[in-house]
Amino acid sequence: MIVAPGAFLRVGALLLLAVLLQLSALSQIGIAGGHADVVVLVVAAVAYYAGSIAGCATGFAAGFLLDLATGATMGASSLVLTAIGYGVGGLRELRDPSHGLLPIPVGAAATAAWVVGFAAVSFMLDVGARVSPLVIREMIVTVLLNVLLALPVFTGCRKLLRPVLTRDPLEVRRRREAPRESGPLGLRGLEV
Amino acid sequence: MHDRKAVRRRRAALAVFVALSVAVLTAYFGESDGGFFHRLQRGAQEGFAPIETGATTALKPVRDLVDWANDTFDAKGENKALKEEVERLRSELAQAQTARRDGRQLRGLVRLHRREGFPQGTEPVTARVIARSSTSWFSGLKVDKGSGDGIKVNQPVIASGGLAGKITRVTGGTAEVTLITDGSSAVSAQVMPAGAAGVVKPEVGNPRDMLLDFVEGGRRVTEGTTVVTSGFKSSKVESLYPRGIPIGRVTKVDLDEVELFQRVHIRPFADLERIDYVQVLTRKPPGVQTAGVITP
Repeated sequence: MIVAPGAFLRVGALLLLAVLLQLSALSQIGIAGGHADVVVLVVAAVAYYAGSIAGCATGFAAGFLLDLATGATMGASSLVLTAIGYGVGGLRELRDPSHGLLPIPVGAAATAAWVVGFAAVSFMLDVGARVSPLVIREMIVTVLLNVLLALPVFTGCRKLLRPVLTRDPLEVRRRREAPRESGPLGLRGLEV
Repeated sequence: MHDRKAVRRRRAALAVFVALSVAVLTAYFGESDGGFFHRLQRGAQEGFAPIETGATTALKPVRDLVDWANDTFDAKGENKALKEEVERLRSELAQAQTARRDGRQLRGLVRLHRREGFPQGTEPVTARVIARSSTSWFSGLKVDKGSGDGIKVNQPVIASGGLAGKITRVTGGTAEVTLITDGSSAVSAQVMPAGAAGVVKPEVGNPRDMLLDFVEGGRRVTEGTTVVTSGFKSSKVESLYPRGIPIGRVTKVDLDEVELFQRVHIRPFADLERIDYVQVLTRKPPGVQTAGVITP
């Protein structure tokens, strides 16, 4: 990602929008005992398109903003989302994935890591209350709902970040797969 | 070389942000409520509040739509659960109502025995009605007590309120009762306190209206007075019904100048259409004079 004020502005606006949407709508819409979580998808999307450093920074900022807005323990969300941002960014940098449907498994893995990681951190910080087994159902539902949201969220983030991206994985793929003309014998590579 | 550098940079960034997170976490836990992060959190929440309020209001239709879809989805399962609950509650209600009704009838029987003038020493046997055969022409019951319980044919039967009928058939464990509303029934009775005597007969087809017939014209009967079994005993005939069992209340008196007798309408005290418990009077009251009864 190009380090410029425009990039910070775009990512900041994206995070603010995601946190507001999460708190004002998605957290209040219960579906089958759980709810979608768009913040982790946005962090994963930024990391997927902009790399692990941007992913780390976005994860930290998103967690900080989320904890500020919800009044939760400051730093807990940041810690988990930083790790998720790093992990997704690393996947993009090391494997160079470019398949159009990859946001779905990436979104699912990021959400699963988020719900499990946040639960682990909460346990470590001593929640001080009895935990119901229903929390597992809620985690599964959140992952499933985020699977449904992953593609539109990733697409929206890509469109917003595209002007400040140094390299767009989908563009790379498109260029790589450009059709070549066939030769006179109808065989590729025999353009004589 | 370049890759290794990039990896190092990435790891450094991760370490920095993780360290920052841990630092924030530690500082947050370490400080008091008035500390920097707590104050920052409060300030942020105050700042977010109007935006959240606006966003919540703006997104309410979306939430309502999703809630509506959720409710519709849940309604099926909820409907099934509610149906089961309704069925269970209905069953419980039926049981409670039955118990209440049984209690009311049994209390009525106890009250009847305490009533002034009711024959004492009759050794009543309480029985539950197990079958009912009621047509316009024949009114009878079957009860769950029989000869094994000391029940014999022609013993009088009372229900909550007053006289119900008499035993007409007995087996070892059951007995049949012919009600006073049966077309063939006739009971000698007296209007109290005037003392006018007559015979109570049913009006076929209307179990709530019976006739006290053959009441002498000279003895005026008034509405609202009580009719009880009169009973008598002569050298040849002995009444089945001991004296003093309430039968009903006078509702109307037909005064026909031409006729020698008055025709008195009475409404039976016992609700003969809804009897669940009866008592069979298995002994005649000792030393009580009985009056005649006209039996079919």
